[in-house]
Amino acid sequence: INEMSDKQSGQKSAKIAAGAVVCVESEIKGDVTIGARTVVHPKARIIAEAGPIIIGEGNLIEEQAVIINSYPENITPDSEGVEPKPMTIGVNNVFEVGCMSQALKIGDNNVIESKANLGRNVILTSGCIIGACCQVNTCEVIPENTVIYGSGCQRRVQTERPQPQTLQLDFLMKILPNYHHLKKTVKTTSGATPAKI
Amino acid sequence: MSQRWVELRRREMASLLQPERVLYLVHGEKKIRSPLSQLYFCRYCSELRSLECVSHEVDSHYCPSCLENMPSAEAKLKKNRCANCFDCPCCMHTLSTRATNIPAPLPDDPTKTAMKKAYYLACGFCRWTSRDVGMADKSVASGGWQEPENPHTQRINKLIEYYQQLAQREKLERDRKKLARRRPFMPLAFSEKYGLGTRLQRTRPGAPITSLAGLSLKEGEDQKEINIEPAQALDEVEPLPEDCYTRPINLPEGTTLRQRLLQPDFQPAGASQLHPKHKHLLIKRSLRCRKCEHNLSKPEFNPTSIKFKIQLVAVSYIPEVRIMSIPNLRFQKESQVLLTLTNPVENITHVTLVACEEGDPEDINSTAKVMVPIKELVLAGKDAAAEYDELAEPQDFQDDPDVVAFRKSNKIGFFIKVVPQREGLGDVTVSFKIRHDFRNLAAPIRPSEEGDASTEAIWLTHHVELNLGPLAP
Repeated sequence: INEMSDKQSGQKSAKIAAGAVVCVESEIKGDVTIGARTVVHPKARIIAEAGPIIIGEGNLIEEQAVIINSYPENITPDSEGVEPKPMTIGVNNVFEVGCMSQALKIGDNNVIESKANLGRNVILTSGCIIGACCQVNTCEVIPENTVIYGSGCQRRVQTERPQPQTLQLDFLMKILPNYHHLKKTVKTTSGATPAKI
Repeated sequence: MSQRWVELRRREMASLLQPERVLYLVHGEKKIRSPLSQLYFCRYCSELRSLECVSHEVDSHYCPSCLENMPSAEAKLKKNRCANCFDCPCCMHTLSTRATNIPAPLPDDPTKTAMKKAYYLACGFCRWTSRDVGMADKSVASGGWQEPENPHTQRINKLIEYYQQLAQREKLERDRKKLARRRPFMPLAFSEKYGLGTRLQRTRPGAPITSLAGLSLKEGEDQKEINIEPAQALDEVEPLPEDCYTRPINLPEGTTLRQRLLQPDFQPAGASQLHPKHKHLLIKRSLRCRKCEHNLSKPEFNPTSIKFKIQLVAVSYIPEVRIMSIPNLRFQKESQVLLTLTNPVENITHVTLVACEEGDPEDINSTAKVMVPIKELVLAGKDAAAEYDELAEPQDFQDDPDVVAFRKSNKIGFFIKVVPQREGLGDVTVSFKIRHDFRNLAAPIRPSEEGDASTEAIWLTHHVELNLGPLAP
């Protein structure tokens, strides 16, 4: 079934770079590229329906986070003229537990806190923090170093960007393989088709 | 489909338990209608009391984040602020201290650098840090942070001293006029300077307020005269900047009104000048009945404990009426509403319901006629061990199935008939009086004759109002 849907949409399966730690219990569907030093926890979901997803290096995607490149609501999957738009995610981002991101462009060093919700038309630059339970579905570019917090989604600008979670990433890259099977990585230079566990 | 129905039904049931649906009337200086959970019961006067007919006294001060107790004198000196904890000036959350390692030159050897800990304040909610306003990192974890000094402090202190002196002088003159004969000196109480506020002074409205013990000593002394310069009015005001109307507003740069007013000393307009303030202390208060001066509520002294030394709340003495289910109410059609009555005490309680008569002055809100059960309802006592006692025989109460729907330990469900009298929008409210017997365990045990029960039952009547929601569409 997987092969048939692949042939229909012309998409390949996930390309996981060497050095990334992607647990088997995570759900990765469609054309997803994951960079080195990225950690994907079990029960995270990365779904590329309406286009490929390209995730950079050093990202932390925690449990029950959903990164989904879905069709906009008023367009059905079979209609004509729908260009698959790629979703790009930069480096050193943190997707905390239970968040949902549909934003097409996410820069570097952002933190999307628990149960936050990002709409498709939001563009995050760098250093932004979307607070817990905040829903951002406006059509805008969020300026750098913005913090969105509170039940009213108040905003403020902070002077320094959030630090990359290097300590946490190192710890997880050591500990997670002790308890979970990992998805197989590919060397990006060889271009061989990956085999999923 | 069924899941949604279950959710709607659950929300409807939860809304029936909202406390504001059933209100009890309190007879005090003001007639207050309030849910039973927010009322107190003075068992010496045998009356319900609300928060407005009791006097509130401050027991102790404590900080809500570090839970440190502070004696009242120290609290007054520190302006009711905690010494250790800070509030975020941006979102008013509690600030936490974070540490980073920075390389710093060793004091002995300037060429080598060692990792030293530097501390800064950070807010977990809005991610504000003390570095945002330019406060340098401190080398000690606590005690290094200072609030900025108000430039007008000296002038304000001088003004306060002058007016304190003036108030004392005026009070002495007023007392001398009213004082007919010598009175024994009263103990010192708070806010005595302006002569209001404490119970001791309020209970005797006609009598003059006697001087303080401390003040009388000063009568002979010559008090230092404090002179202040009057404030000078300036004619010229700083003009607005020229680009005031044309400069585009940068919202994150400015402060909100709330952020500004929480710092009354400076009221900064720019977010880069918002400094953290010390956290405000909270108080534990005790309540006292105004008529009999007995304590109704006295919390424990320890800030970490939520228990009470004295807790005379109404729910533990008065049977509570709750709405269980409401059918569709239609204008001028009789419907049956199911209510529950819970007995909080351990002995059997007899409850009679009486509908309000025509022209009852307490019955101002009802919009429907109600027919309450005529017979007396008997409630079993609250028995904490009932569920574990398997051998207990179920008590036989001979309930009339038309009146009593069910009976469960100390709770019964009963029906009332409601006929809405008003059409259109607006809630259907009914009211009735509930009369129950109350055994006063607080009354002193008099040496009584043999065979006479020391606890006599007295009958209390309360006026209850129920909000049954809108008419069915």
